[in-house]
Amino acid sequence: MAQILYIEDEKEIGQWVTEDLTGRGHEVNWLTSGVELEKHISNIDLAILDIMLPGLDGFSIGKRIKKANQDTPIIMLSARSAVEDKLEGLSFADDYVTKPFHPDELAARVDALLRRFQKEEDALEIGHLQIDMKSLIIINKHTEEEILLTGKQFQLFQYFLRHLNQILTKEQLYEGVWGEQFMDGDKTLMVHIRYLREKIEENPAKPVIIETIRGIGYRVKK
Amino acid sequence: MKRFLKSLLAKYILIILIAIFLIQAAYFIIIFVFFNLMEDTDSPEDGQNSFTEIEAEWHREAHQVITKDDIKHLFEEWQEVYPDASMFRVNGDGVLDVQSNLQENLPDKWDVTYTAQFLKSHYEGDPFTVVAFTGEHEEDGFIVFQLPREVMQPYGQRLFNQYSWAIIMLTMGIVLLFILLSLWFFRGIRKRLVHLQEAMEIRDIDGMPILIEEKKQDEIGDLEKSFNRMVQELRESREREQEEEQLRKELIANLSHDLRTPLTKINAQAYALQKMDLPIEAKHSLKLTSASIEDVDKLIENLMSYTLLMASKYKKDLKEIDMSRFLRQYLAAWYPVFEKEGFTVDVDIVPFEQNTWKVDSLWLSRILDNLLQNVLRHAADGKYIAVRTESSELNDAIVVIDKGKGMQVDTEQKGAGIGLSIVDMMVKGMHLDWEIDSTEQGTTIKIIREKRAGN
Repeated sequence: MAQILYIEDEKEIGQWVTEDLTGRGHEVNWLTSGVELEKHISNIDLAILDIMLPGLDGFSIGKRIKKANQDTPIIMLSARSAVEDKLEGLSFADDYVTKPFHPDELAARVDALLRRFQKEEDALEIGHLQIDMKSLIIINKHTEEEILLTGKQFQLFQYFLRHLNQILTKEQLYEGVWGEQFMDGDKTLMVHIRYLREKIEENPAKPVIIETIRGIGYRVKK
Repeated sequence: MKRFLKSLLAKYILIILIAIFLIQAAYFIIIFVFFNLMEDTDSPEDGQNSFTEIEAEWHREAHQVITKDDIKHLFEEWQEVYPDASMFRVNGDGVLDVQSNLQENLPDKWDVTYTAQFLKSHYEGDPFTVVAFTGEHEEDGFIVFQLPREVMQPYGQRLFNQYSWAIIMLTMGIVLLFILLSLWFFRGIRKRLVHLQEAMEIRDIDGMPILIEEKKQDEIGDLEKSFNRMVQELRESREREQEEEQLRKELIANLSHDLRTPLTKINAQAYALQKMDLPIEAKHSLKLTSASIEDVDKLIENLMSYTLLMASKYKKDLKEIDMSRFLRQYLAAWYPVFEKEGFTVDVDIVPFEQNTWKVDSLWLSRILDNLLQNVLRHAADGKYIAVRTESSELNDAIVVIDKGKGMQVDTEQKGAGIGLSIVDMMVKGMHLDWEIDSTEQGTTIKIIREKRAGN
């Protein structure tokens, strides 16, 4: 449940997206231009912007929103697919979706961004785990016991939670958690994942929370 | 005329004229000074008389002396005035009895023959010789006065002998002055030419030559002006080209935008319909509609890229990229798509020996996008995709394998053609190679990079 500002001048598309996102439990504020932007700018969790708009274009609106609040995630949603447009969009926005798009994809990207900017609900359930996103307490629903993690395990798990549903490569994980360049052949990450699995998986030999994507990396799915 | 006066040619002519004038003037001065003095052959040194005067004076004095003492006295007087002179007397008996500073070897006794011979040999000769009879009578004998002619050389002549080095120096000085003047002139030209050449070499940040300062209105100034005009024209043409490129890009971008907007609307309607309670057939055709929309979308994208690539206007930025890392990260984004379609995804990426490739990551993504999309759309029956790295002795390769029905059998999927053309252009644009092997059992595509020696 998030406050989404959506600017789109095409009536049909605007209506369709508004209905779809509302149906998925978000509160959508749909405008057809950036004229009344100032009224809404203070109270939004996420913005979805078309580029070709009457008056101010999507790039300018996006930059204004970011200037007002750096922590507002922005998705550019446009039929312009040239590399130059994407590069310009991504220079400030957090995602770029081209039309035509599938509403599921847009919804998934909205969720991913909300999570990344931690604007999501406080409680999260993954498999048999119940996680309080504020206090970061992990509870095993089956035993009703809290699972305690060591510093690095905790950081690793937190990194997965922030990138939920995303496949993370060894390099991304190592560099995200340890903050150092990953060297090929380094076993540190694998060892930590094994320890983490031993703590959070019901059957560490057949992990379901932290999936191994063979040849690519790992993933934690909601 | 005013232009001509400012030209280098005019300056050079001026230098030549000055040189000629200097040489001429120098000759005139020399001629004037020396010849003027030399002409006056009788001009004596201070206190001395000229030859004619000496002769007259000698005759006059000779008349007044008779005795030996007179003569001695006379000789002493003259010796004082002419220290280089030699004098002697031969008396009436033909005996040389008085002499002063005598240089020549003369007999003591003079007969007529010898006297005649002496007169003959010294007439108009050197030393200058004056013979005068003493007293009133010729039988009293005669006195002789001799003076080396060089003592009595004209002033100019002596000056010339004495200062000939000065004349040579003066001449050389004038020549040197001319050489220096010429050097100075050509050095100026050379300096400006070198400066011009250096200025022509300088490039602006956009790779264009820069304008140079136009200093003088001569031939080199004209050259500078022409160069500046050329730079200006070059800049204008570059600007025009960039404008055209921009227009072209805009046109393509706008066209694709305008095509995609209605597509999105159709998609929206199809999606809305799908949510409704419809018969199975209707749902099926809606699904086909959605798939077609997706195909048209990809086609627009490919056409756009193709047009840009054909015109070499597709942005390319080659950078060193860690290939195994790039591939893993890239596949992480595609994995869920294949997973959703129920594919077996077989990824086996081992870092290459030369793992850093100089490529544009966006281009490489685009190439792989096209290949994977083809697998998704045209080889979905195989439900299998593998992405591997492979190395042989000469090459490294990224291999994409599917188990679809192969390309030859594929008659419906004409859209794949343009996608593969783009792959071809982009692969070659990054100095890579590729090969495709398609059978009814599946398709294998390799993107190949030749191993670099010593890399």
